[in-house]
Formats: sequence, structure tokens, C-alpha cells
Amino acid sequence: MQEPSKPPVPVLPGVPAQRTVVLGQRGAQDLDSDGLPTEPMKINMGPSHPAMHGTVRMVITVDGERIRDADIQLGYMHRCFEKESEYATYTQIFPYTDRLNYVSPLCNNVGFALAVEKALDITRKIPERAQYIRMIVSELSRITDHLTCLGASSMELGAFTIFLWMLKAREWLFTDLEEVTGARLTHSYVRVGGVVADLPTGWIEKVRDRLTRVEAVIDECDQTISGLRIFRDRMENVGPFTREQAIAWGWTGPALRSAGVDYDVRKDAPYLFYDRMEFDVPVGDRGDCYDRFMVRMIEMRQSIKIVRQCFDQMKPGDVIVDDGRIALPPKNEVYNSIEGMINHFKIIMDGIRVPPGETYSYSEGGNGELGFFIVADGSGRPYKLHCRAPCFYVLQTAGAQIKNALISDIVPVFGMANYIAGECER
Amino acid sequence: MSETVKLTIDGREIEVPKGTNILEAAKKLGDEISHFCYHPGLSIAASCRQCLVEISGNPKLQPSCQMTVTEGMKVSTANERVITARRQMLEFTLVNHPVDCPICDKAGECLLQRHYFDWDRKSSRVDMDKVHKPKKVDLGPTIVLDAERCILCSRCIRACDEVAGVHQLEFVNRGDHSELTTAPGQLLDNPYSVNTVDVCPVGALTAKDFRFAMRAWELYTTPSVCNGCATGCNVEVHHAAGQTHRLVPRPNPDVNKYWMCDEGRLTYKAAQTNRLAGATIDGLPASPEKAIAAAAARLQPLLDSERGAIGVVFSATHSNEDNWVLGRLAHEFLGLQRAYIAARAPVPERADKILRDADVNPNLKGARAVAGAFGQSGQGDLVALAADLRSGKLRGLIVLGDVVLPDDVVDAAARLSALVLVTTHQGALERAAHVALPAAAWPEMHGTITNRDGRVQRMRAAYEPAGKALPAWELLAKLARKLGATMEYPYPRAIFKEMVEKVAAFAGAEWGKEAQLVQLRFANSRG
Amino acid sequence: MSQKILDRLLEKFPDAVLSTSNFRGDEVAIVKRERALDVLRFLKDDAECLLDMARTVTAIDWLGRDGDRFEMVYQLYSITRKHGVRIKVPVPEDDPTIDTCTTLWPGMNWAEREAWDMYGIKFRGHPDLRRMFMYEEFVGHPLRKDYPKEKRQPLIRREGMV
Repeated sequence: MQEPSKPPVPVLPGVPAQRTVVLGQRGAQDLDSDGLPTEPMKINMGPSHPAMHGTVRMVITVDGERIRDADIQLGYMHRCFEKESEYATYTQIFPYTDRLNYVSPLCNNVGFALAVEKALDITRKIPERAQYIRMIVSELSRITDHLTCLGASSMELGAFTIFLWMLKAREWLFTDLEEVTGARLTHSYVRVGGVVADLPTGWIEKVRDRLTRVEAVIDECDQTISGLRIFRDRMENVGPFTREQAIAWGWTGPALRSAGVDYDVRKDAPYLFYDRMEFDVPVGDRGDCYDRFMVRMIEMRQSIKIVRQCFDQMKPGDVIVDDGRIALPPKNEVYNSIEGMINHFKIIMDGIRVPPGETYSYSEGGNGELGFFIVADGSGRPYKLHCRAPCFYVLQTAGAQIKNALISDIVPVFGMANYIAGECER
Repeated sequence: MSETVKLTIDGREIEVPKGTNILEAAKKLGDEISHFCYHPGLSIAASCRQCLVEISGNPKLQPSCQMTVTEGMKVSTANERVITARRQMLEFTLVNHPVDCPICDKAGECLLQRHYFDWDRKSSRVDMDKVHKPKKVDLGPTIVLDAERCILCSRCIRACDEVAGVHQLEFVNRGDHSELTTAPGQLLDNPYSVNTVDVCPVGALTAKDFRFAMRAWELYTTPSVCNGCATGCNVEVHHAAGQTHRLVPRPNPDVNKYWMCDEGRLTYKAAQTNRLAGATIDGLPASPEKAIAAAAARLQPLLDSERGAIGVVFSATHSNEDNWVLGRLAHEFLGLQRAYIAARAPVPERADKILRDADVNPNLKGARAVAGAFGQSGQGDLVALAADLRSGKLRGLIVLGDVVLPDDVVDAAARLSALVLVTTHQGALERAAHVALPAAAWPEMHGTITNRDGRVQRMRAAYEPAGKALPAWELLAKLARKLGATMEYPYPRAIFKEMVEKVAAFAGAEWGKEAQLVQLRFANSRG
Repeated sequence: MSQKILDRLLEKFPDAVLSTSNFRGDEVAIVKRERALDVLRFLKDDAECLLDMARTVTAIDWLGRDGDRFEMVYQLYSITRKHGVRIKVPVPEDDPTIDTCTTLWPGMNWAEREAWDMYGIKFRGHPDLRRMFMYEEFVGHPLRKDYPKEKRQPLIRREGMV
């Protein structure tokens, strides 16, 4: 934390000279306890609180405006994702994954599909068009994730306009994704082996046009808020983390990159066709909230770049793997022949049978490395499914970040951790 | 001459006992060769030709269910020729098979579905109308036949002939008009008829009790033992959401092989109807804690003055553990002397040499062994209990189990100073009791029962007991603690350990492994 | 994932490593519980391995299988060397404890709390071993295989009149 210069000390009329009172300045001294008894106060924030996105309870011990201690208590959105997955087939788990990081659901879908495909060892057999489509929808989801994060955080810091602009752009993208997947948010669009259906005709042109507008919105928001004095004051040097600390605490994604580590799963362990894409990975240097904000802002532009390259490189083709044990047969065969009926029936009822073994597969979600650890037992459902939630590890450190900071620093810290309860608590 | 044979299957060597067929040998290696008409408990028909394998040295493919292994045999079960043969057989079988999966009972546990999905997955080359046959034939009191689905494997015919010992089913007509029907002048009404539903690889034979009742993939399976009679056939309890939907036999070469009788299959209904779900004090509902306190309060004055007039009734329909804890409470701590064993009356017409026993109590031998371990060798039965009640020799009674007595005896019991019941079902005696405590029924508890041969078999709990019921041993242990005894069992295995040391008849018995809850569609145990 | 890490491990801890394997490109080593912390420390500090980031820590419940009931799973990665490994440590049912790895990777603080909450594995030396997601009054460990999925433990109970 920077040490600010000492503010001038006004003397109030009628107040004895030895008492000094300084109000409302950063770095200000607390009220002199000369004769005035003080004690730290334990305040409960949440789980239902307008400044917290998601349900999280914080019990903070404050001394004036300073936070002496913070205990973050999770569990309000724990929905037993891992236990439910043990009783569901792999295809039935896709709607659950939608609801993990629910602002970038397709990233979760894709991550999980990649994990099952790794366990089945069919990663190389996925048709090219399916991979490109997955990349496109992943990146669009990433943009919506960042728009939500930055928009909501800006609103909490007082910049309501940014929120409205970014949500407007987000709504455009949701409308486009709704055209492809059938739902704004709960897509369940990806399947093991590919995606459910091809892109609608005319969608690519529509989205090309849309992305130009989204880019314009991002630029406008960037110009408006990134240089704003008040905004920078509230975000800079709040919760800074060094490289080593960030790595030790298990940070990944925009938070880790803001601390100066250029770890991006899309570059370091490319999946889908990210190795064919040209894009930059923004890296900060202080690891504070401002850097996290800017990293996300720049990443949105990079995602748009990736989507445009996908549109250029895509060719027509299948959208799901051609394997009768994994992909459902065409409906006319299902209804009119016993063979198609049995095939469809077994895939749906038994699930896709994954050979016994354990695999850990990871992809770049909106918040960082989204990992799925699958323990398969040969049947159609996982023996165990563990989701490595990126914001879980970033949120851990939120308590340390707000220690000895002011109450008003809670807002940027939580905003920039991008705590999505669905993902964190699964 | 050694009793084993060495052969190679798909490049892997294995040694098996002489006389094993290739299909069983491959199963030992973990390879499941697809088959329909073969069943390990029935004679070999080798009619379906689904299990054809290639044996080196033999120009034609051979049915692996029929060929016995020979020394040095080399078998291929999954090369291109064999898989093509499998596909072709499945194609033939499916040509006339109706597109019934959405309405067929067997869906989810159907062998035809499984083999097609594992081995074929190709479209049919025949595009003609399928042959139509009768779809809802009432074969007898328990079975409905859908002739179109039948793949003519003849397992059911052999099951009737060999398990039940009667010839009640046969094929008529020829070619693709072949049909299953009952033998002339016969119905499918033998007491082992529902086994044909188990052996039928498809949904041609359906049990009336289970037809359209529940979908197989929604069922969970728990291994247990049938409580219908003293044979103790091993069963799988198929249940969902706290309700049992059917019982199927679990293979056990020493007890029931692969079969069970029809009556035994229906015993799950009794365990779910008319249950006592909450405790009662003088016929009015009460919490179990209050009821146990009331029972102790009722018994205490009798224990102080007339201990010799208190009787204890063991149950031949409850587990060994329930009886053991009752015995400890009654004899070890309270020192009661009058012991009876409540057992259902034997049904001699039932007894056959196949499975059914005249003794319709699941645990008579066990209850006798437990009571005997407490030195109560001269236990009376229900007749003696009725006599003692009528003559007024008893002042108090602790009863385990759902006991059925004549009306006047129930009235005599109602006049006792203390009548405490630990029972699973409502009934006349339960209504007359001062305190009735709800016990868990056999599908809801872990415990052991002893069959007619003295074999101690383990039952496992499929779901939590209904209402406020608890396992009887737990209720009795609570009652014992209320009466001042020290009796603490953290889990049923603790009772078993203690009991096995003290009861000579149970020496060598094992508690067995815990079973994870398995969803039927992932168990791969059927179809 | 890298075979090099497994080679180094076998070289330095031949007695502690129970087995190694490679499945679908993931290198795995199963390590004895008593030596687990030493192995993990070596993997973090060794110049060739340098596994500075723990991706996640979780547990598997092998109820009904022969051998130890639980298995701790440590998924490790090196940001600098860009390689990783999975370390598994069997933990028995009657003594479900293991040394904490928060001394090496403080980020696993909450992950270990989650493993305690869900599986009941106690971490010796953990600075703050409380339940992660469930409320304090919760009885049992939900992700264990013998915990029924439908079981409810509401804090607010409506008892009958009796």
C-alpha cells in the first residue's frame, strides 16, 4: 500500500487543542482513544447483501473504517454438484455444468465435454467444425463473463452507466447465443463428441456485425472509466499480490495474469484449435484490483479477435463425432427402426460408458483454470467428479486482501475476484 | 490326469476345470461373449447361435456355450469373422422385433438391447413389414406374453421343465411364424413361473405384478435374503424412493442357485403394507422416546414384585440380532424365565424338493439358537403362550414381532399389567398393547437370519425405515438402557460380533461386505 | 504432465512410492501416507520438478474396495517448467488423517477444508479446519459413498405434537 501524504489537520472551533480529529481521508489516523472508549466491532455482511454478487457471508471485525479481520463463510449456494453427478449420466451432467459459472456457461460445458472426451480418448476424433463452434461459443461466453464482472463491479463503485452499457452488450450476445442454443443462460449446448446442432444460417454474419458493436461498447466503457480519477483511486493498490504469492495461493486466470504471470491454458496447453489462433495474453504487474480490471477489459478484445479468426477458418462439416456409442442416431431411424431405437435408448439410459480410469482435464474458464477430475468406473456415470473452480482459490485470499484496508475496499476486492457462487461452491 | 485344462482365449492363457464350456472360460477372463439361449442354470440348447466363436483348427464357427474346453485350444472371440457373425445373428433377430422399447418392461435390462449396442450398431438392410403375433397373451395367473418380442431362445421352456419340473410351455408353428405358447391343456401356473421372466432375455414374458409398474433404470438394487420361508433364497431388493418394487433372485450355488418361488417374490408387499409407523401408548400416538419411557414405567413395578410372571416372546420372523438383544435384555439383565418363540404355523403343502419349505418362518432356527444360548431350551410356542395367557399365569409380556393370536387370547393379553410390543405391523395385539414400538421391516435393516440348513445369511438395508420406525434391536437396547442396563451398540455389526462368540450354532458365520447403493442400469447385473 | 517428475520421484523416494502410472497422458504416482509430506515438499522445491502450484486437492472414497478406503489426490503443476503430476495417497478409514500441505501451498487451505467437510479427512496442522460448505451442526460427511443422497438434515424441524 502506498503511504499517502499527510493531510492538513483542521481544528474545529470549541474543541480543546490537544484533540485532533481527522475525517474521511485515506490513511487517516483513527479517533484518538484519549478518554473515549473504543473496541473493534464485529459486523456481519451478507449472505444477502446488495454489494456482494452472489451469496457470501463475511464476518468482519472493524476498528472504525479499518478491517482488522475478515472471515468469509461460503456454502449458501452449495448445491451438491459433485454428489448429484455421481448419480447422473455424463450427458445429464451438462445442465449442471451450465449452472457452475453461470455467466459463462458454455466455457463450463466445453470444459466438461473435453474432460469426458479425454477419458474416452476420442479427443482427436472430434470433427473440426465442432471444435471451431466450441471455440466460438466459449469465447462469446468469456466476453459475457467479463462484461458481467466489470459491469457489476463498476456499478458497485458508483459507475452505474458502465453497468448499463456493458449489460446492453451482454444482452446482445445472449440473444445470439439463444439463437444457437435455445436459451439465454442455461445453454447445455455441448455434448460429448461435439455439439448438439450446427449454427443457424446467417448467424455468422449477424454475429460479425454484432461483435463490431460490442467492440464499440467496450471501447466506450474503457475510455469512460479506466482513466477516471475516482475509479483509479478506489481500485489501484487495493489487494495487491506478488507473483510468488499468487502462484502459491493457487490463483489462475485474470487474477494470476494481473500479478505478472502469463499463464493462460489456451497458450500453455492448447485445446480445441487455440494453437491456430493469434491472440495476446494481457499481463499486469501489481496484481491489484485495477490490473485485474484492465486485464479483463483487454481480454474481451482478444476474445473478439479469436471469434473472428474462427469465422474465417471454419469449414462446413459434421458437428458431432461419428460413433454409435456416443452420438445419438438420427431421429427418423430412432422412431422407425428397432436398431435406431435401441441405439438411442442405450445411449440415453445407460449413459456414455467411459472406461475405468482417472483423468484431470483443464481449460481456460472465465475466471481461470477450470478443471474437471473424473474418476470413471466403466459405467455411464462418473464414480466421482470434482470440479476445480478457479474463483475458489482467488476468493480464499479476499480476506487477506481486505485486512487493514477500509470497508470501502471490500467492494473492488470482491468485484475483481469475480466470485461466481455457482462455481465456487458447486 | 489333471482336473484342469489350459487353453488360450484371444491370446490370453487360462486354466479352467475340465468340462467348462468356452463361454464360461471367457467369463473368467472378464470377456462376456454375447448369448441369448445359454443360461448357466439350465441345459444347453445352442439354438440362438449368438455365441459363435472361432476355434483354430475348426473351419466353421462353433457355439461357445456348447463346446467344452480341450487342452491347448486356441479361441478367438473378437476377431473380424466372429464379430461379423454376431452382427449377422443380431440382424436376423431384430428383423421382426417390434419397436417396443418405450413401452417394454425389459427396457434397460434387455439382453437384446445390450448386445446390439455393444456389438452391432448398424442399420437394418430389410425394409418390409414385420411379422405380427399376439401381443397380450395371458399365459397364466402370473405371466403375460408378448409374442412379437420373443426371440425364440427357449430359456423359458427349459426353465419350466428343469426348475419347476413341469412341461407348460412350448413353441408352435415354424420359421418366422414360430410362437411361444402353453402346452396343450396347460396354463403357466407352477409355483416357480416368474423365474421365466427373469430368464427371458427380452420383454416377451412379463410378470403381472411388475408389468408397467416401474422403469428398470430408476430402480436401485440391494442384496438381501428373502423372508418368505426357511429356505432363505438370496434376493436383490429392487427399490426406489423408499419403496420396494420387486424381488429377484440372486445367484447362490449353495442355497437357491438362480431361482426363487413366486410367493417369495411377493413378500415385499407385506413388508410395506399396514406398517406401524409410529409408537403408541395405550393405542394413542406418541413419540418413541415417550413410549419407551412408558414401557419402562409399566414394567418396573412388575419387575419389582412379580418377575417370574413376565414372559418374553422371541420372533422367528425377526433377525438374529433382534432376537439376541431381546435375549440379553430379558434374560441377562432382567432375569426373566418364561420364554416363547412366536412362529407362523407351518404349511406342509408348500414343501417341495425344489426350493419351497413347509416352514414359512425365515429365522426359526436362528431364534431357537439365540434363545437356547440364554439357557432357554424349553421355550414354548404360540400354543403354549395362548394357554398361559388364558390361564392367567402371566402378568406381563414383552413381545418381539408381528404375532397373530386368536381373539380371546388377545383379550386376555389386553388384561395384562404390562404388554409391550416391538413390532413392524399394525394388528389386534398391537392395538391391545400398552406400548407398541415401531420396528423396521426386513428390507430396511442390516441383520442376519438362519435358514433351514443352519446357514447364517446377511440382509442389507435398502432404505430408511418407514415413519419413525427403528431396527428392533435399537428399540430394545433403548428400553434396556431405560430399565437401567448398560447396552450400547453403535452399529449392527457390533451385535453380530458379540452374538457369534456366544452362540455355538453361528460359529463361522460372516457379516460380509457392505454394499454400495447401485442403480440398476449401471449394475450390469441384468440384461 | 511429465515422465521426468516420476523418474525423479522414484530416484529419490524408492521406498515411499507405491506405484506409478500414466493414463491418457496424466502421470500419476501413489505414495505412502507417512512420507507424503516429504514427497510433496521435494516436488515443490526440487530444481527439476519445481511444482510451485497445486491445482487442486481432493479425495476419493473407495467404499467396498479392498485396501484403504480413502485416497487423497494432489494435482500439481509447475508454472515455470510447464509440467505436472498427480500424487495419490491412500488413507485408511479407521484413521482418516494426513499432514496438511498448506505449509507448502497456502492456496490449498480451503481445498483441504472442503475435503474435511465432504469426506471427513482430518488434516494435521491445518490452521483453520472448519467445514467449508455445510453448516456447523451438520452431521456426517456428504460425499462419502455411504451418505444417502436424499437424506435431509434441516436445521428447522417441525416436530409433531407428540
